[in-house]
Amino acid sequence: MAPRLRLPSTLVILAALLLGACAPAGSGSPSATVPSASSAPSAPAHSVYPLTLTDDAGREVTISAAPARIVSLVPSNTEIVCALDACDDLVGVTDFDDYPAQVADVAEVVIGAVVDVEKVIAADPDLILAAGNEATSTAVIDQLTDLGYPVLALYPQDLQGVYDDIALVGEAIDAQGTAEELVTSLKAREAAVVAAVAGAERPRTFYEVGVFEGSIYTAGKDSFLASLISLAGGEPILGDAASTAIQLEDLISADPELILLGDASYDASVTVESIAARSGWSDMTAVREGRIVIVLEDLVITRPGPRIVDGLEALARAIHPELFP
Amino acid sequence: MRATATAPATTRSISIGPSLTRVTVVLGGGAILLLSAVVVAVAIGSVGVGLGDTVAILGHRLLGLPLGRTIAPGAESIIFDVRLPRVLTAMLVGGGLAVAGTVFQALLRNPMADPYIIGTAAGASLGAIAGLMAPILVPALAIGVGSSWLGLGLVQVLAFGGGLATVLLVYAVSRANGRVPVVTLLLTGYAVSSVLAAGVALLMFFSGQHLGAIFGWLMGSLAAAKWVNLAFAAPLLVISSALLIVRWRGLNLLLLGDGPAAHLGIDVEREKLVLTMLATLATSTVVAISGTIGFVGLVVPHVLRLALGPDHRLLLPASVLYGATLLALADLGARLAGGIPVGIVTALIGAPFFIWLLRRSRTVRVVVTP
Repeated sequence: MAPRLRLPSTLVILAALLLGACAPAGSGSPSATVPSASSAPSAPAHSVYPLTLTDDAGREVTISAAPARIVSLVPSNTEIVCALDACDDLVGVTDFDDYPAQVADVAEVVIGAVVDVEKVIAADPDLILAAGNEATSTAVIDQLTDLGYPVLALYPQDLQGVYDDIALVGEAIDAQGTAEELVTSLKAREAAVVAAVAGAERPRTFYEVGVFEGSIYTAGKDSFLASLISLAGGEPILGDAASTAIQLEDLISADPELILLGDASYDASVTVESIAARSGWSDMTAVREGRIVIVLEDLVITRPGPRIVDGLEALARAIHPELFP
Repeated sequence: MRATATAPATTRSISIGPSLTRVTVVLGGGAILLLSAVVVAVAIGSVGVGLGDTVAILGHRLLGLPLGRTIAPGAESIIFDVRLPRVLTAMLVGGGLAVAGTVFQALLRNPMADPYIIGTAAGASLGAIAGLMAPILVPALAIGVGSSWLGLGLVQVLAFGGGLATVLLVYAVSRANGRVPVVTLLLTGYAVSSVLAAGVALLMFFSGQHLGAIFGWLMGSLAAAKWVNLAFAAPLLVISSALLIVRWRGLNLLLLGDGPAAHLGIDVEREKLVLTMLATLATSTVVAISGTIGFVGLVVPHVLRLALGPDHRLLLPASVLYGATLLALADLGARLAGGIPVGIVTALIGAPFFIWLLRRSRTVRVVVTP
């Protein structure tokens, strides 16, 4: 037999899961308010083209003129563009895009998380907003860059990263005033959450991203999700930094006081009862005391766009219901 | 699992060779098929560009003819920068894998042999994945280079070098008393591959966000095809394939077994070394630009042997032509199916065809033990 690489099926599953995580499923989550971004009466700075920006991958990107045809390769970028009142300039989005509703009419250039380079080119963009950290494959970013398109790779790793990316896109598309206003309002809402949970007890919180074939996925060490749980007044129980997985025995020994079921957003079979029935879980404090909460806002909690603060507020409500009546 | 691919009348075909008409039909037909496949594969894609526009763009860019018509924005780039290099890469990869597979099957006298069998795949995979993960393994590399570390360079170079180095190592380890027994070569290749595959699995386990890229590479993809990679690969593949094709006589003799081949007057060990290295050069080059695409290198040689008989004078050039055609068309299918890995298309469509062919040819003695 030929000695081909035989990969443990767990790795395959892990890959599928990671890839899936990069492309949020568009199932309905009752999302909260939309951050309104009314245009500023006194526009501060205007972008001067040609404009050279540094993106989140550390690449220098030069934009020759104010972009009027924008392609977004991930939903979070789409939401940033639309929050900056530039939704009409979008000429290419992904098949996962579901917000705001008007992007349904825009051509799909990313299908099943695969970028169709031909369709991107046919959309004739003058700015491409990709995702960093391999959510958009670096090979694709390189290919589009080699073809002469300005490609900004956005990879926010915490709330400040989202604010910075909103500002970066604002600068790129000459919407700096709108961006500034949006960031100011988002920061105010973040500060309100932080102030509300200050001094409250911080329960050891396990956020379930998914359980697959015995592997448990949660907020990875140093992850965006972990930082959100922290801000929302919980002490996140952390998974591995790379795989975001946690072993069951580590989870039992970490003894969560609160379990948040983010995967219930997509899977109706994940219920409070199904968690309690899992073998080995019954000894956890959260299960004994019945502190298991269904979280239906996973989409906005895990999509690093302007609605991420909706996600923060949803987390804070789930962790400290007593503080947010 | 001792077996060789030898049809009846081997000796006759060696002494007389295939008839001229047969050569003309097989190779001429193959060339026409290949050209048609290239035209079709360049003309069709996820974005519709009319046939007239396609021809005009190709004439304009390749022959310097005036464009003479207005084309949709981006069409020129889609045809010339995206599709053409991709189709040419598919051709080179398909041809290279098929000819290397033909050589390894004859050389190792093993019907399960494919171009990767003695370690090329495992070595190239480890090299490529080390290249993909270089920023994690060597943090200094990640500073200030942005995304360029995944582009041309590290991954391709390490894959190429990894494949070659592994086979050199396997060959050296298998050597005893100046001879390299085929069985030892196969088993050593298997053992070394297993060690390297463990390294691959280990790196994957710690790969984090690079897992997607690694998977894409392991499954093989032509999505990142570009002219600069072709400039590296095309000369190496053309030269190694040509040198393999002219060594058809040695391969025909080796099919008889090392002993008889030596009696018939060839330097068996030297011939085996040269053939192995040339086939490995072709394989490593292919793998460097496309990852490990399966199936083509295993099945195309068998199909052609069933259809044409075992004479390598015809088999080797035919495998280049038909392997290239198959992969160009398979990649077209992969593109149209939403960019799935091309290896899935070759296996899904090719394997049932192969089974049908095997059943149909049951009366023919396909596999003969010497």
